[in-house]
Amino acid sequence: MLLIDPVRMLPSLLLPLVGVLFVGGFSPRSYIWAALGVVGTVVFAVIRWATFTYELVGDRLETKRALISRSVRTIPLERIRGVDVSTPPMHRLLGLAVLKIDTGASGGNEEAGLDGVTLTEAERLKTVLLRRTAPAAVHPTHPAHPARAAHAEREIVRVPKRWLLYGPLSGAYLLTPFAFAGGAIGLAFQWGDELGVGRDVAWHAGEWLWERPYLLLAVAVLLVLAMPVLGGVMYAVFNWDFVLKRRDGYLVAERGLVNRRSVSLESQRVRGYEIVDGLAERWAGVVRAWAIVTGLGDSRTRGQLLPDVPRPVAYAVTGEAVGPYDAALRPHPPVARNRRLFRAIFPWALLALLSAVAAVATGVTLGWILAVVALLLAGAGIPLGLDRYASLGHGYDGARLSVRSGSLRRAQAVIERRAVVGWRLRQTWFQRRAGVLTLIAGVGAGTGGYEAIDVSEAQGVAFPTEVTPEWLTPFLSGPEDS
Amino acid sequence: MTSQGPLRDPANRVSPKAVRLWLLQSLMAFVLMLGGSLLVARLVSGWGWLPDWLSEHSWLLPVAVVVLGLPFLAAEPFVRYAVHRWELSGDVVYARSGFLTREWVFVPVSRIQTVDKGQGWFERMLGLATLEIRTASHAGSSTIQGLEHGVAAGLAEQLARRAEVLRDDAT
Repeated sequence: MLLIDPVRMLPSLLLPLVGVLFVGGFSPRSYIWAALGVVGTVVFAVIRWATFTYELVGDRLETKRALISRSVRTIPLERIRGVDVSTPPMHRLLGLAVLKIDTGASGGNEEAGLDGVTLTEAERLKTVLLRRTAPAAVHPTHPAHPARAAHAEREIVRVPKRWLLYGPLSGAYLLTPFAFAGGAIGLAFQWGDELGVGRDVAWHAGEWLWERPYLLLAVAVLLVLAMPVLGGVMYAVFNWDFVLKRRDGYLVAERGLVNRRSVSLESQRVRGYEIVDGLAERWAGVVRAWAIVTGLGDSRTRGQLLPDVPRPVAYAVTGEAVGPYDAALRPHPPVARNRRLFRAIFPWALLALLSAVAAVATGVTLGWILAVVALLLAGAGIPLGLDRYASLGHGYDGARLSVRSGSLRRAQAVIERRAVVGWRLRQTWFQRRAGVLTLIAGVGAGTGGYEAIDVSEAQGVAFPTEVTPEWLTPFLSGPEDS
Repeated sequence: MTSQGPLRDPANRVSPKAVRLWLLQSLMAFVLMLGGSLLVARLVSGWGWLPDWLSEHSWLLPVAVVVLGLPFLAAEPFVRYAVHRWELSGDVVYARSGFLTREWVFVPVSRIQTVDKGQGWFERMLGLATLEIRTASHAGSSTIQGLEHGVAAGLAEQLARRAEVLRDDAT
């Protein structure tokens, strides 16, 4: 606990320290200053550690911070929606962990965190905190025994290592090489300054490179080639040994090689899930899955149920972890296909036409290049529009409803019926002419609304009526004309 | 989809005074657009680097605003008055709204979290109010504009009381 702060701050201290040494010309005095810096950091860390306390008082957790200003944060245990334990590398070395407590409040500052508790303490706290809030385990007079809780867990799935090879298909972390390159250049500049190498040298290096375009091109090609490789490596590092398990009333997802992360989601608050696949993933038959949870901040990273796994596995796992959806998706009317095609082609076709006109009028070659590119994109719009139409669908199996849309990123949401808090039908002027509308199921979780795009007017009313007949039937036209 | 579709119209119209409210808003928008376009036309005619035909015909912009914008802005209040309707029955709020884009919203009272009654500056002048019925989801929330103040207050009261009875914490 004591060590982690100075150790973590050392890298950021390193440059100023080195700077101090350089400026001082490695004189004894500069060593003293550097040593003072290190000691100061350690002392600061010790004081910070000594003034931060946490305590379980009855049915609430209190954290107190009294370094400069005093602050006490009280978290009622019933408000805790999830506990997130992670172990960054430095922490792991020292057997420590970071505990984050999700209270469902919005805003990053509202979240309570305990940085640097021992692993065993983190596990104990986690069981205690979650145990108190899990409704299945409510014994008002006898607080639950943590030791017992630790045993009641069952693994739902452990993702095999070879499925990590699907990583590059997800398109995640593809920009890593560029981030690395940018970081390296930035660091070079910074170090250059610190070490007394002027910016002129860097500029000269840049100019030298600029005069050798083939070298620049080679670097660019290398970076592009590195995209899937490095992206895949990053993906593997983050999703290493992904385990999804159930521990009394909670879904727990663990993942990560360097920073092992464990996220607990209260089953009661899971309203459904979203199954996502991109173009490449669809070709390989793999999907990713996220949980749709009420009051979960940062749900994109926290709500992940599955990394890339084969589609049947994803169905089996989400079915077991949340609930199955087994009904076919109904297609949307053919006029929806025309609309998808129009929207995928028309903007590019218009751009092609405009740039062609501009090219003729002004005689600039750039106009022709732009026109050709736009025309190619318009051509690509044909399969894209058709595929977008093929993706559209909605369905209901008696317990859960499902809507699907998208092509480059296709997402199918499956939502419990009881999670629906309202319906909204929206019809733009163009949709009115085409006789279609967009049906939005209001859900108090996830993104808040899940859309069935371009359903026919009859479907748009029939579907909500089928899911929640008691809400819609009072407002239907008489049976004679419906 | 109008009354011929599978859905019937909600039972109640909003207050007739809402037309005046929307007319006032249209007028404001028109004045702003006209002023803006006049300003832009004035500026454009002064710029030397633009092609001549553009700076010489800059007066076309405000004319276009009047010719194209005015009919829309003038029609909007009356179309809205025909479209905007609401109803509370079977413990579900059913509301229709919109001008170019229409919206039908169904909000069951059991899922309502808050009911807000608000009055803007114009609304206050006309004795109107806007009712905001909120659930845990923005897509499942409804806003009813242009209600008579008394009606809005009564409806808010009724909804709040009923929501307490029916409260269903599934969200």
